[in-house]
Amino acid sequence: MEETKVVTGAWELSTFKFNIEGRGLQLMLKHMKDRKLMGIKCHQCGTVYLPGPFYCRKCHIRIDEPAEVSDHGQVMTFTIGYADVRGNPLDEPRIAPIVKLDGCDSWIMGVMQGCAPEDVHVGMRVKVHWAEETTGSLQDMQYFVPE
Amino acid sequence: MRNVGIIGIGYTPVFVSKRKDVSIVEMISEAVDAGLKNTGLAPEDIDAYVFGNMATFEGVNMPHLWATEHMHARGKPIMRFATGGTIGMAAFHGAYYHVASGMADIAMAVTYEKHSEGDAQVGLMGIITPELMAMLSAGIDVTGQSGMGAIGGGSAGGISFQASSYLHRSGAGIEHIDAIAAMERRNAAKNPYAHLKDPEATAEKIAQTPMVSWPIRFGHICPTTDGATVCILASEEKAAKIADKVAWVLGVANCASDATTANLIDSQITDPAEQLPAIMASKKACERAGIEDPKKEIDYVEIYNGFAHQTLMYLEKVGMCEVGEAHKLLEAGELEMNGRCPVNASGGVVSTNSIGTSALNRVTECALQIMGQAGEHQVEKEVHKAMAHGWGGLMQYCTITILGDKPKKL
Ligand SMILES: [Zn+2]
Repeated sequence: MEETKVVTGAWELSTFKFNIEGRGLQLMLKHMKDRKLMGIKCHQCGTVYLPGPFYCRKCHIRIDEPAEVSDHGQVMTFTIGYADVRGNPLDEPRIAPIVKLDGCDSWIMGVMQGCAPEDVHVGMRVKVHWAEETTGSLQDMQYFVPE
Repeated sequence: MRNVGIIGIGYTPVFVSKRKDVSIVEMISEAVDAGLKNTGLAPEDIDAYVFGNMATFEGVNMPHLWATEHMHARGKPIMRFATGGTIGMAAFHGAYYHVASGMADIAMAVTYEKHSEGDAQVGLMGIITPELMAMLSAGIDVTGQSGMGAIGGGSAGGISFQASSYLHRSGAGIEHIDAIAAMERRNAAKNPYAHLKDPEATAEKIAQTPMVSWPIRFGHICPTTDGATVCILASEEKAAKIADKVAWVLGVANCASDATTANLIDSQITDPAEQLPAIMASKKACERAGIEDPKKEIDYVEIYNGFAHQTLMYLEKVGMCEVGEAHKLLEAGELEMNGRCPVNASGGVVSTNSIGTSALNRVTECALQIMGQAGEHQVEKEVHKAMAHGWGGLMQYCTITILGDKPKKL
């Protein structure tokens, strides 16, 4: 490229340790191996988060009560991607819903299959399609499918 | 607090994709010198500078210090703001605080972006790097193909969740996003400082542009622009001596909320179309300006709309109409330059986006309408009071500035 220069080398990015202490993300990943979704509930206001923060975002108090969340839920908003992050057209449009799982107050992002793009809508019922072999990774929750 | 007025504005001669003829600091000096020329001020008249641009977009980390001499600021106080899309208005608020508090009599807000010399995608990634790095070890897929939290589509991807939610909750359709984008590109054709101009733009033409991430089409998205803007603010006493026309600052406010879709680790608890900060900041700024009902008292609005649906969505949030009403005002022609609720006669951010300047240009464009100096894009109705809105950060940060043709009664 005439207008840019590439400088080769390594840029050491931190892995940015988060104070999740076996709760939150780690708690969720651990249980995903058993196809379970474990969030954290605020003992004061009852809000359930997935993944769970170690403080309640509404009450600003420390929380640590595990709460299981359903792998069924509802589409709150969605988009259909026609291009990748670099702007190149995708072979197949990609449905990306944001879902509120039953028993959970926070929303999660994912992808959806088994549905035509024109049929996706806000309020649609969906469920998690789990990976055949689960390893305790965000990849265990492969995609959503219509309920 | 004392009254503060806008006494002068300076733009670079053009806002275009690539300014290859000037460096970053040379481009900034063009706007600074235009501002001085327009007010008849000399560099020594400026008491303080507040600088703003998007951190990391050009890979220049201290542009305010590089530009010190190019804006004649050697030996003067300088502050820099970097609040995301709202930067321009944050810098304006900073300059306002200087003068309102009595720390300075005349302050200049200086903002720029030279997108052609940077990579905005890399800059945008910088806003979620810590979370992304932590989530990578948990198996997140940054190509957006599978798994929980799959990310794809850059900022257009993130914003399309907001647009989709807005459409569902307001009853508007994608055809309304096409129509507002077309209106603003037509308006831009009348603004010499706009970037994407199309006097013949129609909703049908916009509808033919490729879908990027439903419901956002290519024609709904802002360009990346090179440009700089300055705004000079003065105390009431100084303004009376210097300026024939003044746009008075009646109220300012800003408000933040959670990071919505950008919150990967602590989970997302907010609808990206909720935009509580816009509602709260508008209420606070109106209260400070002594405005009870913006629908009745505000004559003109400039909305920060990196994506075209935001004009309609934010008109509802800032209280210029009821929820679900903005697209009906659009259909009735009320948002046009000759309408009852004219918005973005400048062409908005969707037509011109040199990010550091974008939220400041909302203010300067309101000021031009109040001073009657907007030229070909001056709206038909008389503008006594105007509202400028800024949006950015991690989806949930908004700024508001209300201007008037008369100073506030103190
Ligand atoms: Zn709580």
